[in-house]
Amino acid sequence: MKTLKLAVPAAALLLCGCSNMQLDVSGLTGGRISNEQFQSATKVASAVRHSAEDISESEEYYIGRAVSAQIMSRYRPLDDPGLNLYAQKIVQAVSMASDRPSTYKGYHVQVLQSDEVNAFAAPGGFIFVTTGLLKLVRSEDELACVLAHEVAHVAKKHGLKTIKASRLTSAFATLGAEAAKNYTPSQMSQLTDVFKGSVDDVVNSLVVNGYSRDKEYEADKFGAQYARNANYDPAAMKSFLERMQEADKAGAGGGMFKTHPAATKRISELGDLTPSADYKRSVSRERRFKAATVY
Amino acid sequence: MRKTALRLVLAAAALGASAAFAATITVLVQSTAVRKRPQFFAPSVATAKLGESFAASGPDGGWYKVDAGFIHESAVTAKKVKLSAGSTVGGSATADEVTLAGKGFNSQVESSYKKDTPANFAAVDAMEKRAVSDSAVLAFLRSGGLLGQEGSK
Repeated sequence: MKTLKLAVPAAALLLCGCSNMQLDVSGLTGGRISNEQFQSATKVASAVRHSAEDISESEEYYIGRAVSAQIMSRYRPLDDPGLNLYAQKIVQAVSMASDRPSTYKGYHVQVLQSDEVNAFAAPGGFIFVTTGLLKLVRSEDELACVLAHEVAHVAKKHGLKTIKASRLTSAFATLGAEAAKNYTPSQMSQLTDVFKGSVDDVVNSLVVNGYSRDKEYEADKFGAQYARNANYDPAAMKSFLERMQEADKAGAGGGMFKTHPAATKRISELGDLTPSADYKRSVSRERRFKAATVY
Repeated sequence: MRKTALRLVLAAAALGASAAFAATITVLVQSTAVRKRPQFFAPSVATAKLGESFAASGPDGGWYKVDAGFIHESAVTAKKVKLSAGSTVGGSATADEVTLAGKGFNSQVESSYKKDTPANFAAVDAMEKRAVSDSAVLAFLRSGGLLGQEGSK
């Protein structure tokens, strides 16, 4: 087997300094490691979970499910299979063109029956849009931008980042180094408390307080980019925000108007809105939008 | 002394460079497409499942190259991964690893949460059933004039 002659501890230290990785070299002897060993050593992550970034894909999914269940106990899901399926295809299209095309069990969308102008994204890829918001949308390209904004919240893990760090520290401490699938009743009780607190943190951010302005501007910017990647017109983000601005002036309140920065400011923060070289207007796109949004 | 120091630097550089271009990647999501080209809407040539490991090069522009095609970096990890059965893939070193699934917040925790907290999980289950296939999304894009010249070929 091919080997590399190395002064392992020193090299490991150098790597740790560069990439924040923790290496365990106890199994290596004689200052020689095989290609396989050296490949493995460079892949080992830090031993301790610290933050929202360390929540696994499957854990994110379960948090997202509970957040979604909370949202749909506050808002009534719209029973319109055609519209829900249409929105689902758009969400999958823009998520495929995002920098996070796959979540643990994929992206899903549900239209909510509410006059409130609002849209939410729960961790793991659960997306919601109200009929009140849909009434402000004029084209599939605008709807794609709205939904891509929500996909960006998922891709950038904005929801997970609203979970208080102290909760995660508690959860990670409870889990420790245990690999067992079944927890003791005491561990389960502790984990359920932390889980409930984490879900409440995210729901409060989505429904009551909103994300920080920076996260909203980031979602606008990346949402427009994902829409562009899917060959939708990214400028449709601007035209929708302009309509939000008009609705705000006309006195529409609550929902997104309460939890998001002013549309004027959001428009000023949008980056390049030039469409892709493959962008083209389409009559069939216009037709299917009109057909799907009659409800 | 100088020679030793130089060897150390070269060895560390070699490790770093190789780590960027060769890795064992493990899938962290239930399923993800292996695409013909490193492009969003390139046709899917295979499906990679949760826990499957591949020898890969990259990532380059967000994509790992494997034997069958290209996998997006967001669906995999190049870190050591602990499987639910207690075994690991992706490395032999003994420091910590990424947990694939099952540990932490899981279906057990969700069941415990449901007992005390009223929430509409039935609606979430219905929502999850709505996902459409990769080919249906591509057909939707094509019929809406959204697929570029290279797309889906």
